[in-house]
Amino acid sequence: MTIKVLAFAGSPRRHGNSETLLDWVLAPMAMDPEIVVEKVPLTEANINICRGCNACEKLNKCVQRDGMDTYHDKIVDADIILLSSPIFCMGIAALPKALIDRMQVFRSRKYVLKLPVVPPERKGKRLGAFLSTAGQDWAHVFDAAIPSVKCFYHVIDIKDADISYLMINNVDEKGAIEKHPTAKADAEKLGKAMLAEIKKRLAA
Amino acid sequence: MTVTVLGISGSPHRHGNTETLLDSFLDGAKAAGAAVEKVVLKDLDYSACRGCNACHKDGNCIVKDDAVPLFEKMMAADIVAVASPIYSMGITAQLKGFIDRGQYLWARRFVTKTLEFSPEHIARHKGIFISTAGQNWDHVFDGAYPSLTALFHDAGFEYYDNIVANNMDEYKGIKNHPAALKEAFDKGQKAVAVLQNLKKE
Repeated sequence: MTIKVLAFAGSPRRHGNSETLLDWVLAPMAMDPEIVVEKVPLTEANINICRGCNACEKLNKCVQRDGMDTYHDKIVDADIILLSSPIFCMGIAALPKALIDRMQVFRSRKYVLKLPVVPPERKGKRLGAFLSTAGQDWAHVFDAAIPSVKCFYHVIDIKDADISYLMINNVDEKGAIEKHPTAKADAEKLGKAMLAEIKKRLAA
Repeated sequence: MTVTVLGISGSPHRHGNTETLLDSFLDGAKAAGAAVEKVVLKDLDYSACRGCNACHKDGNCIVKDDAVPLFEKMMAADIVAVASPIYSMGITAQLKGFIDRGQYLWARRFVTKTLEFSPEHIARHKGIFISTAGQNWDHVFDGAYPSLTALFHDAGFEYYDNIVANNMDEYKGIKNHPAALKEAFDKGQKAVAVLQNLKKE
């Protein structure tokens, strides 16, 4: 059995705090021989913004030809989908927001055309996690990002109960997360827990 | 002195519900005697903030494109009306892309401490958020407000008001909404009148 993990690194800054957090979650997964991990830095993903044309409500596909042609299929195929983003200006960064807005094709498929997003036998057998970091030390700094993250997962058939969150505030300069007392351990714990859970679900 | 109003349209979709609502606000402002200009983000060329933090050193953005000139234009206006539809429970990637580029203003305020706005300045600069959403949930705009707060505060504007209309999918467009367009027109007129009075003081 091969388990596919698709991880979108949403920060415009490579190897910064949010991507490091993502890497820590991926580390225990990557060590498992059954797991195939693909990490996609959104800086290299060539994903245009949604044009709001609503053509996908009729066509069941997007009229734009770009990186999403590839990632659309990978999103459908993956068993675990991770998304990381820093908080910029109290919200998710523009790059991952562009990815989320392009999920509109799945929303159209699911809610307008009423077609399946994944085959019925794979429903409930997909997991998601949102990894985020913020420079601000306010506890509510992640609040505005979460509704968009939920949209991202809902339209690709990952329900609320199957979305995990690990969000670390008060880390700003590159590398600040390395000094955080619990982030690394919590991230590895999350990676292991998701791995165990997806194996259980896929075996059921 | 003439009140200046800048409208910023953050929808990728030209002349849709959100831009129409913005237009109504700007029409009201014009009717009250303001000098009005509209900028459509779709027609500008700017990239996403790189998160490089170079602006934390000297308060300047190292990326040279249309973003910083638009912040300058915005800060020269008395009233700014920023419009975005709700996509996936938040503002569009287009508007978020612009707002994120305001990091250099935040850096000037809190890192280099070279930018400060007096309470009088803030009271004389009004920021208004204009939005529409297909969903009928009341909380559909909640994810948008914090980023608008960041934008207005970093640019020295009071977050003065929201003009929002949900349930567009059911109304089949803003033109069928019973009150939104008139509300936007009236609020455009009133905001300009408030500024005219402030400018007399």
